[in-house]
Amino acid sequence: MRVISTVVGNYPRPEWFRDYLRKIEGLQKDLDVEVDRDVLKKAVSEVVNEQKRAGIELLTDGQLIWHDFLLTIASRLEGFEMNGLVRYFDNNLYYRIPIVKGKIKRTKRILYDFEIAFEIEKNVKPVLSCYTIAKLSKNEFYSKFDEFLWDLCDAIREEIEELEGMGVEFIQIDEPSLLYAEKDELKNLEDVFKELTSTKAKTVLMTYFDSAERIFPEVLDFGFDVIGLDFVEGYEENTRVLEEYSFERINVGLIDGRNTKMEDLNDLKRKFEEIVSRGEFKEVFISPNTGLEFLPRVKAFEKMRIVSKLKEVVS
Amino acid sequence: MKTTVVGSYPKPKWLLKMIKLHRDDRIDDRVMDEAYKDAVKAVVKDHEIAGVDIIWDGEMRREEMTSYFAERIEGFVIYGEVRVWGNAYYPKPSIVGELRYRDELAVRDFLFLKSVTEKEIKVPITGAYTIVDWSFNEYYPTKEEAVYALAEVLNREFKELVKVGANYIQIDEPAIPTHPEEIEIAKNAVEIMVKGVKAYIGMHMCYGNYRAIFPDILDFKVDQFDFEFANRNFEDLEILREYDYDKDLGFGCIDVHSKRVETVEEVKRAIHMALEVVEPDQLYVDPDCGLKLLPRDVAFEKLRVMVKATNEVRSELGLE
Repeated sequence: MRVISTVVGNYPRPEWFRDYLRKIEGLQKDLDVEVDRDVLKKAVSEVVNEQKRAGIELLTDGQLIWHDFLLTIASRLEGFEMNGLVRYFDNNLYYRIPIVKGKIKRTKRILYDFEIAFEIEKNVKPVLSCYTIAKLSKNEFYSKFDEFLWDLCDAIREEIEELEGMGVEFIQIDEPSLLYAEKDELKNLEDVFKELTSTKAKTVLMTYFDSAERIFPEVLDFGFDVIGLDFVEGYEENTRVLEEYSFERINVGLIDGRNTKMEDLNDLKRKFEEIVSRGEFKEVFISPNTGLEFLPRVKAFEKMRIVSKLKEVVS
Repeated sequence: MKTTVVGSYPKPKWLLKMIKLHRDDRIDDRVMDEAYKDAVKAVVKDHEIAGVDIIWDGEMRREEMTSYFAERIEGFVIYGEVRVWGNAYYPKPSIVGELRYRDELAVRDFLFLKSVTEKEIKVPITGAYTIVDWSFNEYYPTKEEAVYALAEVLNREFKELVKVGANYIQIDEPAIPTHPEEIEIAKNAVEIMVKGVKAYIGMHMCYGNYRAIFPDILDFKVDQFDFEFANRNFEDLEILREYDYDKDLGFGCIDVHSKRVETVEEVKRAIHMALEVVEPDQLYVDPDCGLKLLPRDVAFEKLRVMVKATNEVRSELGLE
């Protein structure tokens, strides 16, 4: 069993970059104006280096230009308009609700920040999302949700193809909303996700904020190489899932990304061993359960240290 | 029927400059303190000219509504800021030990304000539920226990406030409507906060879905609820009607998210709508929320219009 330390995605912005964005965008960005490449590169390198220094092996770009938590993707696609603030799951965090006003089309690269990170370091995974964006948006254009979802899927699919062409090894797809999908909806989603996961790159499904027992067994047919589960919010339920169903690669979100409290390493080790004993895993990724942007930066770094220490003691 | 404010008011631009100088160590605490006091006097004057009946000091010393209190209560530390939306951040406190009363939270501000105005005063303080909801909890086994512990601390502060003459306390709880599933915790917390406090208690809630917390909140031990109505086109008055609302009503009828100054006629129409739900002596006319994000001249104009509209309604009803 190979163990790899990683993170889920977003990371607190460096303070100077925060001030820079506030200066050029104001409190809330209205249009999708790209950040100056050199400035962004400096910020991304800082965050990439911080992850490496903490001992993280599979990195992310920190999602530094994402003005909210997943839905930034919408503002890069044609067909969406951004509206008022809405609460993001159970967090004291708000996103601007994307409204679908026209046919969804991808006209430019979505993850231009990832592209920069990939120039600096090859061991970085891009983060995308599809179903969750569709669920959290307000559709005022398509007569059926399915049509909207498929157009969105095609757009994300194009991005994935490009990423694959760049030689990206892992592509992560975050789908917190999937945990609340109805059973019959899950069956319909199989085709959408199969489309997204039919790539040479390895695909990671990341779920968080809740346990994932409701999406099994359907999710096993979605074509993901790695399934990520939140063991902070759903330790018992998700451990039961592993007992019942088997898959080879898992992302264990075990360190609380939403609390400054630092976990006890022995306690984490015990939990980790319990989790992996429930299946026959070839590869296990250890990470916080969520992105680290919920934490002040100094604590985000400490959390990554815990991830890498845990990796050391269990491998 | 009285006019009041929710709490915050735009800080004078010169005060913002002073705060920056103070942060950079270019002026000392004594000078800064004098600046704060002068700013309060200026804000009080704005409120007096506008003619508001019950006022507060505009929260000149408060940067925001969680960390200001957390910094003054034993058991909290602040490691840094986190994002709340877009490019907006706040210093999110962490509870790292037992929460205990350490220092006054609003007593000094109250006493100073009392020394510079003859107006009635309300003291707004962020409630236990909201402060805990907006903090990290490293210490208490559950959120519920943290909320109750903080409620005890605030209860002590409320009693201190009453001791020095405060008779109207407003508990700000914007987080309650965002977690309707925890309404019971919030309700118990109110009981702890107000226990033995001999003052008129209001509770301000903005944002979130009010319908989700009705009718449960009608059992809260408060004299008044203060809601935002203008920003929602007054549609939520319907909820009050549905549940035979009988507490006093803080009636937010000025949109704090828009720079457009309402007309007197508009506000009068709104007040008449509120009077279909409560009696005039139950009605406190105020803006939706604190005014701090508006330009100062716009905030002032909005208050002036609000008071003028209330006065006209009063005389139409023969209440003067």
